[in-house]
Amino acid sequence: MTVSTTSTAPAAALGVLPRADGSAKYSHAGYTVTASVNGPIEAQRRDEHPYEAHVDVIVRPAAGVGGTRERHLESILQSSLSQIILVKNFPRSLIQIVLQVEDSPENDYVNTKLVQASLNFSIMPALFQTAVLALLSAGVPIRATATATAIAIVPQDGTKRSVVDPSPRDVEIAQSVHVLAFTSHDELLLAESEGDFTVKEWDDVYETAKDVCCRPVPTKEGMEMVLDDQHTNGPDLRHFLRSTMENKVASDLHWK
Amino acid sequence: MTTTERPLVLPGDPISPDLIPSSTSKPLRLGPGLRHVPPSDIVPVVAGQLITNHQKNSMWVEYNNNRLKSSAPAQTSTSPPYPPTPPMTLPHLSFESATKKTRPQLAPGALVYARVVLANKHMDPEIECVSQSTGKSDGLGELKGGMVFDVSLQFARRLLMAKSKEEGKVEVLELLGGEGLVFEIAVGRNGKVWVGGEDVKTIVVVGRALRETDEGGLGVEAQRKLVRRLAKGMK
Repeated sequence: MTVSTTSTAPAAALGVLPRADGSAKYSHAGYTVTASVNGPIEAQRRDEHPYEAHVDVIVRPAAGVGGTRERHLESILQSSLSQIILVKNFPRSLIQIVLQVEDSPENDYVNTKLVQASLNFSIMPALFQTAVLALLSAGVPIRATATATAIAIVPQDGTKRSVVDPSPRDVEIAQSVHVLAFTSHDELLLAESEGDFTVKEWDDVYETAKDVCCRPVPTKEGMEMVLDDQHTNGPDLRHFLRSTMENKVASDLHWK
Repeated sequence: MTTTERPLVLPGDPISPDLIPSSTSKPLRLGPGLRHVPPSDIVPVVAGQLITNHQKNSMWVEYNNNRLKSSAPAQTSTSPPYPPTPPMTLPHLSFESATKKTRPQLAPGALVYARVVLANKHMDPEIECVSQSTGKSDGLGELKGGMVFDVSLQFARRLLMAKSKEEGKVEVLELLGGEGLVFEIAVGRNGKVWVGGEDVKTIVVVGRALRETDEGGLGVEAQRKLVRRLAKGMK
């Protein structure tokens, strides 16, 4: 099975919203998402938990109001983000994460007259990555950083091809779409799949996703810089996360 | 200092053992941003620079944010807050020369400069306006008049440094005083700065100078330029 990718390098800006505790804007593979994080703040009575913080994730689509799909994405994000946030440190409080989709890639093959909210799995990595960056920007204590990617298995000329960061057209013709996220300890944090696939296919997807999300950071000495063609499956997300935070910390601590 | 002494850490990064101070005479103290995972792992939980102090046998992560999260005793100014903070208790008796009969009269919404005495994640924090050992207020108490300005937590820490000019690279207050402005200031570790004085114009100028220094990330030279510009506008 061959692996291909269509996307360009990701881009991010931190601290874009001055009134929020933390915020981030992230664009990758045609998606642009802005996130704000507020917390720990006082939780509403019904969300209050005596021993841990309640993580509230809100997904707002680019057009229209959110519906069942958004609630589904929210519930997936909520359960995986509460795994990395140290929720036990803030009992009876609330950590609120608002994700506003600003831009999503258009499917040139479908003529959409009506602009409406139609989120699908391929937006999950962008949402997840923005949420992690905003949490880092807010300084919310988290167990580990995390990276996520989406992979579609697309039939082509009788064979199958897996596409990292699929376009809407790829998702439309794909047999299955998978979203995987890994922590910085190389642990699988999130695995969601839809469509028909075999165990072998899932294993291949897992290996590809792990390569995209968990590539070791190249050392500065240049001794371990691997430049062979093996590492060309999509962007190096972990390295991207580190360099983004490096810039933020350097500008925060300019006076040191 | 070189970057090797202050490496960037992300949450969950391993800390190399030679960065952990290894004095046997004092216990190791972990500051903000670090977590001890039993038995022997020390893991950062925020992104920032890892700083190690070998004399004090302590280490912490230096970073910036806008909300007070750690729960160590500190001085804060509190008022009807934005963003909302959890409720705190301020007992009637924790004021200078307060007895059961003479209580301080605080109107709802009053601003106080207080020290956090009790901060525990399962309880509401408790603050006091008196030094426990001497019974004196030491400058704590209700702040009357003046205005409150919001700054980032890191900037508040820099203002509170004993040598804020040398270590924190904040000279803006001395420079404003040198221009002949008369004002009082109370810096809270929660990022609230109270500026008081006779003249409203002076208060606004001082507050704006602080906020611009913080938001623009101004260096010492830029602070001088800012103060000169503001002083010219005052005349």
